[in-house]
Amino acid sequence: MSVKYVPVQWNPNKYVYDAVLLASVVLYIFVFLELGTAAADVTQPINGAIVRMRAFGSCAFLMLSVILAIGPLARLDRRFLPLLYNRRHFGVMTFAVALTHAVYVLGWYFAFSPTDPLVALLTANTAYGQVLGFPFEVLGIAALLVLAILAATSHDFWLSFLSPPLWKALHLLIYPAYAAAVAHVALGYLQDATNPAFALLFGGAVLTVGALHLAAWLRAPAEPTTADDWVMAGDAGDIPDGRAIVVRISPTERAAVFRNGRTLSAVSNACAHQNGPLGEGRIVYGCITCPWHGFQYRPEDGCSPAPFTEKVPTYDLKLEGRTVLVRRTAHPPGTRVEPTPLPEDVA
Amino acid sequence: MNDAGDRSEPFFIGWAKAPTGLRPFLIGVGLCLVVLFGGVGFIAAATQADPGSGRGGRGETAIGVLTYDPYPLLYVTESERYPTGHTLLLSGNAKFGVQDRASALDGRLVQVSGGPVARGDLDMLRLRNGPDGLSLVEGAPATPEVPEPVPLGRWRLTGEICDGQCYGGAMRPGTGLAHRACANLCLIGGVPPVFVSTQAVAGEEFLLLADAEGGPVTDAVLDHVAMLVDVEGEVERRGDLLVFRIDPASLQVAP
Amino acid sequence: MVATLLQIAEVYLWIGAAVAAVFLLWGIDRVEPNAAGAFVFRPLLIPGILLIWPLVLWRWWVLTRGETGVRRHRPPRRVQHAVAIVLALAIPVILMGALLVRQNRPLERPAVLLAPPAAAPAAEGEAGQ
Repeated sequence: MSVKYVPVQWNPNKYVYDAVLLASVVLYIFVFLELGTAAADVTQPINGAIVRMRAFGSCAFLMLSVILAIGPLARLDRRFLPLLYNRRHFGVMTFAVALTHAVYVLGWYFAFSPTDPLVALLTANTAYGQVLGFPFEVLGIAALLVLAILAATSHDFWLSFLSPPLWKALHLLIYPAYAAAVAHVALGYLQDATNPAFALLFGGAVLTVGALHLAAWLRAPAEPTTADDWVMAGDAGDIPDGRAIVVRISPTERAAVFRNGRTLSAVSNACAHQNGPLGEGRIVYGCITCPWHGFQYRPEDGCSPAPFTEKVPTYDLKLEGRTVLVRRTAHPPGTRVEPTPLPEDVA
Repeated sequence: MNDAGDRSEPFFIGWAKAPTGLRPFLIGVGLCLVVLFGGVGFIAAATQADPGSGRGGRGETAIGVLTYDPYPLLYVTESERYPTGHTLLLSGNAKFGVQDRASALDGRLVQVSGGPVARGDLDMLRLRNGPDGLSLVEGAPATPEVPEPVPLGRWRLTGEICDGQCYGGAMRPGTGLAHRACANLCLIGGVPPVFVSTQAVAGEEFLLLADAEGGPVTDAVLDHVAMLVDVEGEVERRGDLLVFRIDPASLQVAP
Repeated sequence: MVATLLQIAEVYLWIGAAVAAVFLLWGIDRVEPNAAGAFVFRPLLIPGILLIWPLVLWRWWVLTRGETGVRRHRPPRRVQHAVAIVLALAIPVILMGALLVRQNRPLERPAVLLAPPAAAPAAEGEAGQ
């Protein structure tokens, strides 16, 4: 969106978002270290380093669970979309918390020995054939590595440079990473936690994440495809002013047909920034506005207004009676297509 | 396919002011998040398991006879803290054993000094580095006799293999699977492995592990550390310490 | 083995550092118009280049040759659906599996005397309690 890249893009909404996040994390760590641990029923105090690794580890896991819940929540209830808006800051913060956990583990469990800590981490337990007693540390390392890659590629530069589909594919690694983190906790701390409260918290978090994804998947409508040159989009009268209907062009490609006053225009449903669903956005100040990060495009040519330079592909439209048809072949991004006037009988 | 919701639905644009209709919802979500994090943090911390009664101390000295196999032990003859005839497990500082320093002193009268760890009947001394921690007592009149091992029969026991130092209280908790790699690292470094039986044998819950011939057994037990296992072997009493000479092939995870 | 692995990782990161230097000082201006005149954000890209430099080199090459625009608007939606479902199914499996193998403590098992000592004081042999 910016004409020139800056290190971190902030605006009033992001300040609020980050402040709430930071407050939650600081509160978690403080409550865990100072209040919760003091309330634990112990004969001798638990080592400070172990309490800290537990605090940061569990906090990172909770953050990751919340992050993964945001996507399906926003699909189930659009009011959650603002949480998606700044999710990348959330992810970077999660990486920082998880890294702190790892540093404590390395500096305590794997220090003070004749072996180099990193070598010790990978050689102390090699029972890969066991389920009980599995070297669960490697699962944590794998998850942390993915978090590192995702955090390091969260700048808008990477979206543009890798292209949104490749960036998204890379960031889908968060799913296997979460599975690895779940197994990391399940085969590690969960095995030792004698109080059922932890199992309930942990099980509650992971099953909620799983159930939300299942629910969002079930809600996704089935989409028919045809091989025709022109794809039927729907009835022109069904499009409210300033809104769109989305039509599937191919398994990977969708177009959004927007109504702008008395005319119709079709653009790619995938925003140039992060492939956000433009068709779920609106026309604001005469521009199609993405519901994810607010990127804007003119309906008639798919170009962002100056000084911005983003472009999306456009499509030819035609009407058969009131039925809107979209041509399967997209124009290159930013190609002007004359808007199609609405039929007279549409209010 | 139109998923855009009804017309009155507020539309959030990141760079613009949040729509008024959406603000109460977003404030609610923010508050929920803060409460969730505070609540989970408290419950997760307050329900941590008890790491046990093991604890460390500082600066103890003892004189006694050192034996090398299976792991360095001291039969105390003179000490302020320990009674005469008490058997002490010896390890180095942190995740080091004292095998290198003890190998030349098998059966000799030595002076040891270091930090004690103690849990129930388990006593271990973490020796200082160098001769400060372990040295031959020069000019001793005669080396006292080490008590002969007393066989107590062949047993099948269920329990956890721990590193004696962490279990004793050098690390709290020093047991369990989350601590497994750390325990292995201690054992590889030369710290004596201890079998913590779920039921006492001859009044003792802690047994020093050895192989069937009475030698060190570390490499054979590494894959069974930190979990409940069944294992068979000969139990024998040395001083006031039980030694469990296991048959590593009989090790299996307790069902 | 592990030492070799760590060495390979180190070499990988060093190559990444070289790629980062060349790309940030020279290549980025040729493939990313928005980076022109923007320098403060560049150090922020270093960790990413260190981690995924093979991908960086490949994209650099693709962008230099020119990329058709429509491809950038085809998100991997099917893959996302698939991995989301796999995750939703894997979670209960992992959780249940871990709870099944879990050894619930305290677990009390009798100490079993298999054979009394050959010539031992009988009192000690009985002492399993």
